[in-house]
Amino acid sequence: MVILVSLVVPAAVAVWLLTGGRGVSHRTANLLASAASVVTLAGVLFAVITRPTVDRAWVPSLGLRWQLAVDGISAPLLLLTAILGVGVVLHTLDRPPQGGTTAAFHACLLLVEFGALATFYARDAVLFFVAFELVLVPMWVLITRFGDPHDAAARADAGGRFVLYTAFGSTLMLVGILALVAKAGTSDLDVLAQGGGHGIPVGTQTLVAALLVAGLAVKVPVFPVHTWLPPAHTTAPTAGSVLLAAVLLKMGTYGLVRLPLASLPEGFAHVAPVLAVLGAVGILWGGLACLVERDLKRLVAYSSVAHMGFVVLGLSSGTRTGLQAALFANVAHGVVSALLFVVVGGLKERWGSADLETARAALREVTPRLGFALVVGLAASLGLPGLAGFWGEFLSVYAAWSPAADRPEGLFRALAVVGALGTVLAAAYALRVLRTVWAGERTAPRIEDSRDSEWDVIAVLVLAVLLLGIAPGPLLALTDDTVSTIIGAAP
Amino acid sequence: MSGTATRLVVLVPVVAALLGLLVARRADVRAARLLAVGAAVLAVLFALAEVVGVHGSSGARTVSSIPALAAGELRIPLQLQATTATATIALVVAVVGWAVQVFAGWYLKDDDRYGIFAATVSLFTAAMLLVVQSADLVLTLVGWEVMGWCSYLLIGHWSRKETARRAALKAFLVTRLADVGFVLGVVILAAGAGSTAYRRVVQSWAGTGCNDAGACTGPSTTLLNAAMVLLVIGILGKSGMVPFHDWLPDAMEGPTPASALIHAATMVAAGTFVLAQLFDVLAAADGARWLLALSTAVTMVYAAVLAFGQSDLKRLLAYSTLSQVALMLSALAVAPADDGPGAGVLHLYSHAFFKALLFLAIGWLSVTVGGTAAATMRGGVRGHLFIRPAMFVGLLSLAGVPPLVGFVSKEHVLDAAEAGIGAGEARAWLVLLAGLLTVALTAAYCMRAWIVLDDLGSADIERHDADTATVGVRTAVTVLTVLTVVGGLVVVTPLLDLGGHIGWLVALLSILLIVGAGLAVRSVAAGKDPAVRVVGARMPSFDAGLGVDRLYVALVARPVLALAHLVVFLDREVVDAYVRGAAAATRFGGTGGQRAHRGEVAASGLAWVVAGVVAVALAGVALW
Repeated sequence: MVILVSLVVPAAVAVWLLTGGRGVSHRTANLLASAASVVTLAGVLFAVITRPTVDRAWVPSLGLRWQLAVDGISAPLLLLTAILGVGVVLHTLDRPPQGGTTAAFHACLLLVEFGALATFYARDAVLFFVAFELVLVPMWVLITRFGDPHDAAARADAGGRFVLYTAFGSTLMLVGILALVAKAGTSDLDVLAQGGGHGIPVGTQTLVAALLVAGLAVKVPVFPVHTWLPPAHTTAPTAGSVLLAAVLLKMGTYGLVRLPLASLPEGFAHVAPVLAVLGAVGILWGGLACLVERDLKRLVAYSSVAHMGFVVLGLSSGTRTGLQAALFANVAHGVVSALLFVVVGGLKERWGSADLETARAALREVTPRLGFALVVGLAASLGLPGLAGFWGEFLSVYAAWSPAADRPEGLFRALAVVGALGTVLAAAYALRVLRTVWAGERTAPRIEDSRDSEWDVIAVLVLAVLLLGIAPGPLLALTDDTVSTIIGAAP
Repeated sequence: MSGTATRLVVLVPVVAALLGLLVARRADVRAARLLAVGAAVLAVLFALAEVVGVHGSSGARTVSSIPALAAGELRIPLQLQATTATATIALVVAVVGWAVQVFAGWYLKDDDRYGIFAATVSLFTAAMLLVVQSADLVLTLVGWEVMGWCSYLLIGHWSRKETARRAALKAFLVTRLADVGFVLGVVILAAGAGSTAYRRVVQSWAGTGCNDAGACTGPSTTLLNAAMVLLVIGILGKSGMVPFHDWLPDAMEGPTPASALIHAATMVAAGTFVLAQLFDVLAAADGARWLLALSTAVTMVYAAVLAFGQSDLKRLLAYSTLSQVALMLSALAVAPADDGPGAGVLHLYSHAFFKALLFLAIGWLSVTVGGTAAATMRGGVRGHLFIRPAMFVGLLSLAGVPPLVGFVSKEHVLDAAEAGIGAGEARAWLVLLAGLLTVALTAAYCMRAWIVLDDLGSADIERHDADTATVGVRTAVTVLTVLTVVGGLVVVTPLLDLGGHIGWLVALLSILLIVGAGLAVRSVAAGKDPAVRVVGARMPSFDAGLGVDRLYVALVARPVLALAHLVVFLDREVVDAYVRGAAAATRFGGTGGQRAHRGEVAASGLAWVVAGVVAVALAGVALW
């Protein structure tokens, strides 16, 4: 019941905003969306605590069902999505969107939230796919209609690239899902996970796992299919960037865990070394690109590629530690990148561009709050212990060093070294940004410091980054049981 | 009782740091100051309580901190420990932290960012206390990295200065690069033990608690050596040993209280304590010990030479830190396995007192004379009731004159080297010779500093009368002076577990060296700065650390940046080219299709659709 509430409310409000409520004022739209997202958050909270399930027939002839539930893997992501859902709406309060009606903007935010929640709730592979795709359209609207007002061509390019690229990935995934469902004879994700791919020949398992991994890798994104991400982030409005980094990318890693890793462990074992190598390359690639990138938003986007590299590396190791690391790093990246995008997006609004070569007033001198938030965000991004980024990355390096027995040990150990080196690159680009933007003696041109709703959102995210860093225990405990089930089920 | 105290010793400064952030931006700094100093006093009291509490109980005690982490196969219990040694060193750190907080409250009284500074110092102290009391590799790593980050903030405190910004960046990046080794070392050690608890790591790697040697399938020595070499690399970085040493002198761009903290009792000395915890594992890793011995032997002599030729007395102290930390680490490289790490830890203890004293004294003096350059400080301590004796005692202790604390600990280190020679280890010779050379060089630069500060120029009583130092500052400096004088008595207490003793022959030799070097410098001086006479025109290159900075840039920074440019180029022109190419090909195909359609009858279009459907169906069947 609560699951349905948390899905129906945002969807219904979004639909009304798109149809009947197109003319409402910014305040009204925001109030409505806030109410909807808060109700959704309450519903998700309740669902995470009580763990209800929904199971209704959908297309009986195909055996498809509305099957929704919460477990240890989806719970943190559901919470993350619902909390950020409130966050982005709140963040919009003081900045009326440009490029379209405010009702459409809010509706898109709510639809993205709805689609993401449905993706994480879904316990049916086909339902998962449908929800996964549902997010694309509102996100595309956010990028092309409400994105960077300075450059219409860039908006069109970024939006088109985002949709076509990820839709291409989804096609591969769909083929993979259909093949999986056909071979296993069920589309129930729980049954698939319990079956663990028994009865499917290893060759087919590998092929299907490769299709699924390739499709989902686009969404994560894993090197070398990451090039849609930087333009999308650069042009998207701040709220869109936050959702993109903190929610959409998570759907990719979540899919990797649910589909190939849990359902086809043997096939995934064959794909994992390749995936791990790509993840490690991504860590270096993203880190290096950040060292010379001129646009601050693109820089944060490339750093996402590096961070997701750690997640993928942990996933591929095939151990419980690795999966725990990946799930933790996933959530941590969601919070940290959300914080960074709010700050960086705010800076771009104030500066008019996000070019790092332009001389500007040092944030430490003129906007201490934004400066502080940037320091916290970048420190977390470089994996400073005591902040969110550390645990996932450390455990991921550990997991790569001692992978599961069926993984090539030498290769994974080399990748562990690469991952550790990646943290130095993270430190280097974080300090590069701090040195150019945060520290300095210039106090002109003055910009306004963060306040009101923007500051509220930043403060909550800073607190979340601190909490995850100081007390990683609860989150790790939340995922522990399910992780043991998934890895334990592997033969 | 001691368990609670152990937790509070770490927790109190952490809370002070967090609360400090909240009050940091108030115009009135009294709240920030009260919080910082109050927490520091509390930490000292709790550390005292811990020392008393531990003294009653026997053996090591583990104390839980936050609940163990559910990290899959790896066990991360996250426990603290309370032993006599950890409690004693924690007390030392707390005392130095208190002195620094008190001093900073006066030194930075006009600084508009004092609040942030005080909060960072609290966090820094907490991180060091965590490293000292940690019984878990991960907790050590947490404290270790947090210290690095705090050092970045403290060194770059005056961020309006370009030199400070660069020094902060350099300090963090150099140590972070070395930390790759630390992290990997921790990972390998933990992977071998399946747990990050020190006890289990030492058990499984050093093979203790294994009665029958044949039954023990010990861990591979290659892996053991690899792990410890990596760990040692991390420690060399943080401690500023060659080849990572060049960040430390530049770190003098930070406010003096920060330098006192970083140099005296925390970051640079932390590695000694970490290795002391893992001494049984280190003792089994010959390769790592060789690396440590080589690097420390080179560093102690090299840094002492450079210290002598510095035109800035604060940088002289910075190089002396390098030299002294090399000395304490070298004890761990050569001490026989049975003797344990006591000598290194003792030097850590004594260095904390006299180095904090020297930095606070020179910081105090710099406020009254207006700078730390040797030329500015000429005759600066003359007639000053507090700074003069403080500086005198500090320099004597640094030089290792008996019976001050520096003498006691230095002789223990040299004795450890002697014992290592006795155990037939070649690297012990290296360390002993380098150590004796360092003794002479240290005496030389201490004498030089004293001549500059006291002999040259005349007393400026008016200036001393205008001294605004608070009672707190005077108390802090006095306490450190007293501890520097009587601290050596610790060897007759059971507070530190010392394996060795003072070797009288070496002691006699080093006293002769000290006296000889001191007299030689004095005779060279003849009314001028001895360094000017000896080093002369080469002083700028001494100040520049012999150009190692350029080496860092040329060997590391430039190649990495070149690679980064290559990556960006490849990202745009190769990886993304396929994507753009796909888009272009589709458009081309679309245009072609459109052309082909013109003037066609509908039936042929339908045929194409049917063909497409068949193709999709075939593909589907093939996959089914």
